[in-house]
Amino acid sequence: MTALITFEHVSREFDGGRIVALKDVNLAIEKGQSVAVVGNSGSGKTTLIMLMCAIMPPSTGTIRWNGEPVATPKSWTSLRRSEIGIVFQDFNLFPTLSAIENVEVATFGTGIDNRERKRRAEAALKAVGLSARETHLPHQLSGGERQRVAIARSIVNRPTVILADEPTGNLDSGNGAAIIDLLFDLHQSRGVTLVLVTHDAHLAASCARQVRIKDGRLTEQSSLRRREVIR
Amino acid sequence: MNHLQLAFRNLKRRPARSVLTAAGVALAVGSFITLYGLSQSVEQNVEQSIEEHGADLTVRRSGTAELFGGTIPASERARIAQIPGVAAVSGELISLVATDRDEHVLASGWAQDSFFWQNVPLEEGRLPNPGERRVALVGVDLARAMQKHAGDSIGLLGEQFQIVGITRFNSIINRNVVNVPLADMQELTFRPDVVTFLSVKLAHPQDPQEVERVVQDIETIGGLSASKSENVLRNDSMIGLLRAVSRSMAWVALLMGVLMVLNTLLMAVLERTREIGILAAIGWSTERITGAIVIEGFILSAIGSAAGVVIGVFGSHLLNAIPAIGHFVAVRPTPGLIVATALAAIALGILGSFYPAWLATRQSPAIALGRA
Repeated sequence: MTALITFEHVSREFDGGRIVALKDVNLAIEKGQSVAVVGNSGSGKTTLIMLMCAIMPPSTGTIRWNGEPVATPKSWTSLRRSEIGIVFQDFNLFPTLSAIENVEVATFGTGIDNRERKRRAEAALKAVGLSARETHLPHQLSGGERQRVAIARSIVNRPTVILADEPTGNLDSGNGAAIIDLLFDLHQSRGVTLVLVTHDAHLAASCARQVRIKDGRLTEQSSLRRREVIR
Repeated sequence: MNHLQLAFRNLKRRPARSVLTAAGVALAVGSFITLYGLSQSVEQNVEQSIEEHGADLTVRRSGTAELFGGTIPASERARIAQIPGVAAVSGELISLVATDRDEHVLASGWAQDSFFWQNVPLEEGRLPNPGERRVALVGVDLARAMQKHAGDSIGLLGEQFQIVGITRFNSIINRNVVNVPLADMQELTFRPDVVTFLSVKLAHPQDPQEVERVVQDIETIGGLSASKSENVLRNDSMIGLLRAVSRSMAWVALLMGVLMVLNTLLMAVLERTREIGILAAIGWSTERITGAIVIEGFILSAIGSAAGVVIGVFGSHLLNAIPAIGHFVAVRPTPGLIVATALAAIALGILGSFYPAWLATRQSPAIALGRA
């Protein structure tokens, strides 16, 4: 079976090679998997996620999507729009847009009309339990609610994969647990591939597979369906 | 929500800055319309004032830089009158003269047998009688401003003239001019036997070949230059200077407006670096991000242009209310000028927003998101 995302000898350097964030990474993520990317701060976790969604290109190596190398920035833009949902640690919502508008903004360029855009955004907000807060601006929402809006934005285009970069990093434990439950619900109910960046070992244990990064290298991969086991 | 609503939402984040930018564009557009309209109106008013007297050609001393700058012997009138195709010739001596109120007015001396007298619309009073001296016709606007009526007198260069009639011409220049007998004007200005220019009425003004032949015949006399009334200011250096100055200032104003849009959008883009990175991260193409910023530029320019049109029309009225301007020219921007200026400002605003948009799309989303 062809992997959804494949890294072949991928390295990423910064500052003209002075900083090496990732070294010769080989990784294959199957469709429908839940994968935790674990590591300490500065280990290269976020760089791995940024490379997965081509927010930055690799210095060397090849990244494949469904077995095909994604060559052009345009192709990556198209994938980010239709196949990849991104959830950031610090929510990254637009402060002047309401919750529903923050979700809608991700649907621009997908070829659907205004009415359908709104309908999809409403459905996404309903899926994250925020129907009652559609018209609220980000500053009128709690941290947990903001992250729910960000998750709604990530799923509004029905992506194949959700890349979540420390999604609970700015939340208290109660809200964090709720967000993780929501992400796993989406993963299980919709069959969405989930890649979760975290430094929380307990949270990582919820994923079927863990990828550990240390000093830019993949040091360990395990394939236990821990969440299913825990449940 | 659509792109336009999104752009409005972004502009509303900094309402003061957006309003000030639009106001800057409005002032630029308003200034352009007023200044460009002024230069256009000067030419239109002079042409209209000549045509209103029924003249088809204007003959002046060749080589003179400005219409009122040279004089020609009044005797040339007789030579031109003999040219086939010429129906009538009239000499006119024009000068700015001081009134007894120490204000300067445009005074024009007409010969007793000038065909100009045939086309004088009277508001009140009568035309001067043959051979009558020290009499004047006063344009209706000037008469109102000076509160003069037929029967009153007016001082011109220290001499008293009896106002025998008030004229009601259409052109603003003629509505503010004092017409006196040519002999009086020559005496007053110490320019005996000369006129500023000769106006020619043609037998067949619609026949371009005949017009061209008459022009050539007049210029064959030597030392004279003839041109159709609508072209009389084409080579006038004073009008050229006014045109160059006012139009340069107009363009500078407009470019300043464009720079304001560019500056505002540049600041907005720099402020929203992170958000632009988020847009890229959620799948917005560079074209779409460019478009979103250009739409903001369009909105600022369009609102500014609309307000600028109002300012321009209002500004023109204000100019007309200034006696030093309003007595000589009615600044009336044409609909063509207004539409062209508004469209040009919008187009330049859009053009000016491409640079910030280009900057926005050049930055890496990773850097914008603070991830690199």
